[in-house]
Amino acid sequence: MNIVALIVSPLIALITGLFFLGLSRKISARIHWRYGPPVYQPFIDVMRAFSQKSITHGNFFDFGIILSLTGTIVLVLFLPIGGLWALNTGGLIMFLYLMLLGPFGIALSGAAAANPNSSIGISRNFLLALAYEVPLLLILLAVMTDYNTISLVEIVEKQAATGMAISSWRLVIPGIAYFLILPAILGLRPFEITGAVQEIASGPIAEFGGKHMAFYTLQHALQTFVGIALFVDIFLGGGTLFGLLNSLAGTVWVDILEIFIFLLKMVLVLFIGLFVNAVYPRFRIEQAMQYLWKWPTLIAFVGLVIVAIIN
Amino acid sequence: MNEIMNLNPVLLIAVPIGLAMLVPILGLMSSKIVKWVPVVGFLFNSVVSLAVLPRVLNQPIIVKIAGFAPPFGINLVAGPVGMFLAALIAVSGFLVAVYSLDYIHEGAAEKYHILFLLLLSGATGVVLTGDIFNLFVFFEILCISSYALVAYLGNRSGIEAAVKYLIQGAIGSSLLLIGIGLLYGQFGTLNMADLAQNITSFSEPSVFVPMILMVTGLGIEAAIFPLNAWLPDAHSSAPSSISAVLSGIAIEVGLYAVIRVVFTICHVTGSFFVFLVAIAVVTVLIGEMSAFGQKNIKRMLAYSSIGQIGLILFAFSLATEFGVSGGLFQMLSHTLGKVLLFLSAGYMIYRTGSMEISSFEGVGKKMPWTALFFTIGTLSIIGLPPFAGFSSKFLIIKAALAKGDLLYILLMGIVLLGTVIEGTYFFRVVQVIYFKESNNKTEPEGPPVSGLISMSVFAILVVLIGLFPNAILKILTTAASELLNNLEYIRSVLG
Amino acid sequence: MSLEILLAIAYGGAFLTYFSGKISQGLRDGAAVLLSLGTVLIVSSFYNVPAASVLYEGFLGLSLVLRMNSLAWFFAIAIVSFNALCVIYSLAYMKDRNEKDYYYFMLLLINAAMLTIVLSGDLVTFFIAWEIMSWATFLLISYNRNGALQAGIKYIVLSLIGSMCMLIGILSVYTSFNTLNISELSGQLTTASAGYKLFLLIIFSITFGIKNAVMPLHTWLPDAYTESPTPFSAVLSGMLTRMGVYGFLVILFGIVGIKSVLTLGSGFISYTKTMAWLGAITIVIPTFIAMLQNDAKKLLAWHGIGQGGYMILGIAFGTSLGMAGGIFHTLNHAIYIVLLFLSVGAVEYSTSGIRDLNSLGGLFKKMPIAFLGGFLGISGLIGVPLTNGFVSKWLIYKTLILENAPFLAFAALLGTWGTILSVYKFLHNLYLGQIPEKHKNIKKTPLAMQVPIVILSFAIILFGIMPGLPLKVINSINVAFGFSPLDVNLWGVVSEAGTLNMLNIFTALIVFGAIVWGIFRISRPATLTDQYDNYAAGAAIPKDKYHYTVEYYAPFYRMVKPFLKDIFDLLYQKVARANDFLCDNIRKIYTGYVGNYVMYIVFFMAFLIFIQLKWSVF
Repeated sequence: MNIVALIVSPLIALITGLFFLGLSRKISARIHWRYGPPVYQPFIDVMRAFSQKSITHGNFFDFGIILSLTGTIVLVLFLPIGGLWALNTGGLIMFLYLMLLGPFGIALSGAAAANPNSSIGISRNFLLALAYEVPLLLILLAVMTDYNTISLVEIVEKQAATGMAISSWRLVIPGIAYFLILPAILGLRPFEITGAVQEIASGPIAEFGGKHMAFYTLQHALQTFVGIALFVDIFLGGGTLFGLLNSLAGTVWVDILEIFIFLLKMVLVLFIGLFVNAVYPRFRIEQAMQYLWKWPTLIAFVGLVIVAIIN
Repeated sequence: MNEIMNLNPVLLIAVPIGLAMLVPILGLMSSKIVKWVPVVGFLFNSVVSLAVLPRVLNQPIIVKIAGFAPPFGINLVAGPVGMFLAALIAVSGFLVAVYSLDYIHEGAAEKYHILFLLLLSGATGVVLTGDIFNLFVFFEILCISSYALVAYLGNRSGIEAAVKYLIQGAIGSSLLLIGIGLLYGQFGTLNMADLAQNITSFSEPSVFVPMILMVTGLGIEAAIFPLNAWLPDAHSSAPSSISAVLSGIAIEVGLYAVIRVVFTICHVTGSFFVFLVAIAVVTVLIGEMSAFGQKNIKRMLAYSSIGQIGLILFAFSLATEFGVSGGLFQMLSHTLGKVLLFLSAGYMIYRTGSMEISSFEGVGKKMPWTALFFTIGTLSIIGLPPFAGFSSKFLIIKAALAKGDLLYILLMGIVLLGTVIEGTYFFRVVQVIYFKESNNKTEPEGPPVSGLISMSVFAILVVLIGLFPNAILKILTTAASELLNNLEYIRSVLG
Repeated sequence: MSLEILLAIAYGGAFLTYFSGKISQGLRDGAAVLLSLGTVLIVSSFYNVPAASVLYEGFLGLSLVLRMNSLAWFFAIAIVSFNALCVIYSLAYMKDRNEKDYYYFMLLLINAAMLTIVLSGDLVTFFIAWEIMSWATFLLISYNRNGALQAGIKYIVLSLIGSMCMLIGILSVYTSFNTLNISELSGQLTTASAGYKLFLLIIFSITFGIKNAVMPLHTWLPDAYTESPTPFSAVLSGMLTRMGVYGFLVILFGIVGIKSVLTLGSGFISYTKTMAWLGAITIVIPTFIAMLQNDAKKLLAWHGIGQGGYMILGIAFGTSLGMAGGIFHTLNHAIYIVLLFLSVGAVEYSTSGIRDLNSLGGLFKKMPIAFLGGFLGISGLIGVPLTNGFVSKWLIYKTLILENAPFLAFAALLGTWGTILSVYKFLHNLYLGQIPEKHKNIKKTPLAMQVPIVILSFAIILFGIMPGLPLKVINSINVAFGFSPLDVNLWGVVSEAGTLNMLNIFTALIVFGAIVWGIFRISRPATLTDQYDNYAAGAAIPKDKYHYTVEYYAPFYRMVKPFLKDIFDLLYQKVARANDFLCDNIRKIYTGYVGNYVMYIVFFMAFLIFIQLKWSVF
């Protein structure tokens, strides 16, 4: 299973992630009464980017983007996609730390480019990350405390036995909080502050072109996948569906169906998330931080208090 | 060696006094030779007292003057306490005399040497005598020579300080004399052992009032708060070598006398010690806090002496074996440390021409050895290992904790707070000496050889005693039991 | 080889170095390096060789004892290794400074004192060495003059307060149990009352809390780290400050015993909980204050405080997992913070003393080795997986989650995210971005600086991938303290609830890294461009002024600055001013008017006589 997952998970994640990028652009466009690009546009963009000329600012510039993509791929290996997972060592804590590598790599690359616009974008990116990490940490701690494990796989398995976490009254509050910060994690409206095209020339990726841009797009796609998949795994029970698949237990179909159920859940989350947030204008970074540290944090905190008291 | 060991302790007093009388005559022959007289005198005293010291640990030597047995005649009691302090006085006196060889080179050098000899022989007399009136006499010798020495430099501040000192000292002497008189009237004896034997309870007014008179009188010299107002002026106005002796020896001798009265003669017990501990704590705190803001190095050192005296009194007032031996140890380490500080400060002041601490900038480079000695003295006075001050402080704190009373722990906490303050101002001076660059580009010039020798011996003693405190532990415990057990003292004197 | 000889070499080496400096500079440098390497060799030869010896019988009735066990060895090897690296580094860094004899003497003396602390088998030896370390540190902090003087005073005042507390603690133990031998005490203290144990713990916690800069006793640290000569800042941050952790280990687990410690207090208010919360506060606040700093060393200093909190948090729970985390983090922290200080030192050296984060930038191409050190250092500090910091932090987090302390875990994790921001700023403002014209031709990093940086960088990766190496030693410490050993292998932890296997991560990152890199290579090659050939959305890029560093996280600063004052430092300064004022006024008791003095005397005497005659109080 692990070897299969090692190859399959990143591929699923890449394709889904790119598809989601296209989908989100399409949906946003429709909400704005535009027609929008086709859903497969990101695939075309990546292909085109690979074929284009690019510039580099030296080895460290290249290293950063490679580190970023590698880190995000490894991150995907930790996520149970249905029954697929390649790595479990270190649990959610390891997962949290590996989540760093993506933005960190981009930041190194952007800074090595010596473009001040990149630096500004990175500074915003880190601040935004700090802003949503505060509620995210509270949420994850609530989940870990409630299930008394740090292993993501165990969390999913326990939900298969007891039902989705979001349906348990203890974890519904952290679930709501996660939903509120999801657009920030994905960098969607109203949180698309990092790469504000008009202000700071796309921020960290100002110097990216050609293959660097392609790599960045892939990393971004994976990041989007991870943000949603994490929610599905810890709150929506991963690939399980109310025990409907129990009759098929033991066959290979379960694994395949679970993956599909998992992806369906992800699409659902994306849709709801987009509809809720697409109408907002973009925040300034202070506004974003104040927002994230106010309601989502408060809700997540209450959730953690409840879980901690019960334990 | 045996012959030296059998020498009469009376020589410790007689020789310096005799030499003091000899100085004017020698001064007629040669002015060069005069300054060697104290060196010779105290070298003799050092050798004798150190040689006799091991013997008195087993059995105190009682010297009957003019053949009358106590209580009828005046006697000297060379017990462990007395000989320990006499040795301390002799050794420091010798080293300070060596230091003075080159340091005292202007003014009335002849008088300086006479007074210096008299001062220390008076001090030796106080610690060795077994007779309370005799103690008064020696005490007066000590005090009067100090008044004169404070005014030695002849400047305005010196004379003013000396006059203030004189006024307070005279009051102290009179109180002491009244106290002695009252006791003599009641018991018809001046012998300390005999008095101790006759006094049954110190709290009866007939004993208590003379005791308080004596304690107050002696406490002025001992610089116990609030009787110590003369000290900062006097100690800072005298020449540094004299400041060293006044701070390192004179006040400790005063404290010794207080302790002798309290422990041996009146055999105080109970709550009076609590009062003394409280006074001691206040003395520490006032001394250290007053020193904290000082910009004048000698005043700072003088105030620090008040704090140290408080610590010593604190140790004694615990009235336990650890406490008293800790107090005696603290006397030793304070003498070594403070004399070292005054001596090294003396040359720093001499070279920079100012007593302001801020003028010592860059001294560390120009006078590396003096600065090093000053630093060692500093670390020892604060009580940091591996220097002598640590061992004594260790014993004192241990004694306070051994009391097992929360009150003592709290009071000791205050004393240690005083140590923190002390550390702060001393370390500030160290920083100025080493880590501030001076603006004036004078040629570096260290002290002369005599000063270096004297200071380095002190520094070595501070380090050695810090590393091997056990060497003197036996002396201290024997001395402590002499002070704590006055029946023992009475028996050994009266036979 | 006996322990006395080791100490003789350590102390003698300091003096030898000093006096050889009077003969020739080269001789002194050689002596310093050889002696410090020599101590490393000797200490390493004690691996797994328990030893004990009596240093000196009868210090005021006590015997001074030395002993070598796994705990002592672990700290000793770290102390001497970092010392050796810093000495080597100093050869280049201190080249143009004055009074180098003094500098090396103090450095080696402090090293010897720290070595004595960890080798001491009784509390008197411990205290003596502790004090030597304290005043010697003061004398070396002040070395840089100017601002260093204030830093030195701050350090020594807090240090003295700590020492006095420890002295009380030690002597109270001595009077109660009549021994100060650590191994003898551990048996006897179990019989003491809970109140007495608590008293001891509190009094020792003040001492060690000051040394380990636990909030609110941390205020000496930022100035001291910043103002010291940089190699000494490294020593200070590496092991010297962590003597506090060592002290905590000895008093908590070596003397009082973990079983007693855990029973002190009830419910929410207990000794261990309080310590843990202090640790958590120590993590969060300093880490965020670090973000506001513009002095590279000060930024690191605040992280030094923050990381100390993790160690406290680890050991406060008294589980074998937490202990392993706390002790391991002590080592890891030392490795990366020393590396970071050395990296800053290299920048200082090359730019003639600039370490202001707002006036540097783009140095990574000019100083690749220093940059490597800086990069791996901050990775370790953050705890990026595959660096050493990750493993120990992981152990600590896991302890907190398993011990059902999610809020503490939150504080710890939040600290990490704060760390990322500030250390990224550190790396970016020093090494990345545009290089100013005036720094285009800076001095090269000398070999003596490169060697320690490379060694430490290697250690970060080594312990990150093979945490089993140090964890094996830590396991034996755990066993010595009576904890069950962790199930470790070379690559990580194999324990029942969640495993850690760095080999998996390592392999995954390498394999996918290779794939990504392969794709990168086979794609169209990119053209190398100059730093000024930048895309600025049509705006012209002014030369030499286009580096975004000042107020790097400006929006955030605006939000948090009012809340991130070092209130304790301000408070202590207020106390210090009040003390100045008080002292000035106390002195006025001595009015200078002799009439008053006479009044004091008469009053003193009359008071005593009066109360006795009236009430017979005595």
